Amino acid sequence: MIQLKELEIGYKSKGKTNTVFKNLNAEFKPGDLVGLIGDNGIGKSTLLKTITGNLAPLSGEVYLKLKRIGDYTMQDLSHILSIVITERVGGFNLTVWDLVAAGRTPYINVFGKLSPEDEQIINDSLALLNLNSLKDKLIDELSDGQRQKVIITKSLAQQTPVIILDEPTAFLDYNSKHHLFSTLKNLALEQKKLIIVSSHDLDIMKQYVTSTLEME
Amino acid sequence: MTHSKFIRIVLVLTLFLIVLFIADLCFGSINLFSLDRSDAMIETILMDIRLPKAITSIIAGSGLALCGLLMQSLFRNPLAGPYVLGVSSGSSLFVAFATILITSVNISGFYFMGKSIVALFSITGAFCVTLIILMVSKKTKSNVTILLVGLMLGQIFGAMQGLVEFVSNAENLKTFILWGMGSVGSTTLKDLGLIAPVYIIAVVLSFFLIKSLNAILLNEQYAQNLGINVNRLRLQIIIITAILVGIITAFCGPIAFVGISVPIASRLFFKTSHHLHQMVFCLLIGACVVLTADIICQLMSNQFVLPINTVTTLIGSPVVIYLLFKSKLNMQ
Repeated sequence: MIQLKELEIGYKSKGKTNTVFKNLNAEFKPGDLVGLIGDNGIGKSTLLKTITGNLAPLSGEVYLKLKRIGDYTMQDLSHILSIVITERVGGFNLTVWDLVAAGRTPYINVFGKLSPEDEQIINDSLALLNLNSLKDKLIDELSDGQRQKVIITKSLAQQTPVIILDEPTAFLDYNSKHHLFSTLKNLALEQKKLIIVSSHDLDIMKQYVTSTLEME
Repeated sequence: MTHSKFIRIVLVLTLFLIVLFIADLCFGSINLFSLDRSDAMIETILMDIRLPKAITSIIAGSGLALCGLLMQSLFRNPLAGPYVLGVSSGSSLFVAFATILITSVNISGFYFMGKSIVALFSITGAFCVTLIILMVSKKTKSNVTILLVGLMLGQIFGAMQGLVEFVSNAENLKTFILWGMGSVGSTTLKDLGLIAPVYIIAVVLSFFLIKSLNAILLNEQYAQNLGINVNRLRLQIIIITAILVGIITAFCGPIAFVGISVPIASRLFFKTSHHLHQMVFCLLIGACVVLTADIICQLMSNQFVLPINTVTTLIGSPVVIYLLFKSKLNMQ
């Protein structure tokens, strides 16, 4: 589903190239829960940005469904790949329901009107992670663990075959970390999604992932 | 927020708006209801003075409130607004340039051309400042820094306008000073022929951004991942706010605190993040606020009409301060 071929990642600015990592080769299939391992600053986030199409590779290629990632439009990509990042979300009266509903953005008209099917999908996604009781709560009222689950639920509502998570366990306590990884594992197994996750919690992560990609 | 609740709130706010609109037509330095007024005189007062003034109040209030909402969502900063970020000041400075330009070349024969040039300059000024703020916001994630830069820009443009005023003649100076205090009473029905179409186009266009605005409320990366072209959205918001702030400032002067306080209040009263709801609420509340301010101006004064900025600032700034302390507004 996703292939990395002789991938060189990094940044280009003002004619200078700054290579972060090179010679990456890997292949991921639906149903895989891939753990991305590496020290701080080695380029995990850079790799994830490259895989999600936010950053162009310096050389080599990322293939998504046998097509180069750069050849997808943002709209097409939003139907295939969803992200969970560390940047905080909240304020502005955003409720759990609003955040999960945002996952339907690629499928609705410019006026933001949800169809009954959209609402059904949002409810189903909430049910899958047992968040129905929280749906009218403000995001600001949630714990870090709950917030992380809501953002993952947004990705579920987006109905993409690929989900990419950058450090989703960063602010969580021990139990929440286990809970999060088992949730991800179930999603990969039962829904045949490809899930790629970076984390510093190696011991916990290794109990759940189906494969790892080590950067060193 | 359910659909029926939304409709109920809209109906109540619309009712308020109608009452205030009629009240605004009734109050003024001349009492329409005393018996010795002729029908012709009443008609002149209503059609030539009070109706344009009431319509201008609605346009200015709703337009600025909408701009405030758009800017707050774009920067994800509850303290953004056309006045605090210096957009109104940029507009003002360019209006001063335009005024000097027009009086020096004297094209008074072309009524609309003169007004259009002022409006165009005003829009350009607003556009430039918004662009600067946007560039700053790409360099820093700190809301406070962006606000301070906006405040400083406002000061810089204010000082430059001071320079322009310093070198201008007495007549222009008087125009600047009066205009700078803000007024909804100097537009004519003829002016509205220019303002209203521009306003309507900008408001209608902003409704096509609802989905994108809802998505960008999460953050820019999520919005992008949800298929939103964030760069295009930024440009669309800047153009719409520049047009609205520009045209309103050209005719009413820099009106303070409506743009920032109305969206804050609206979010606090009506717990919804959906932009269809918040846009409609802000349009209605903004219109009501400026109509109220104008009514207060009329009631407070006998011979001279109080400048509208005095009232909006006196009402608006304490409201902002109160709301800041009262609520958790997600400041960083």
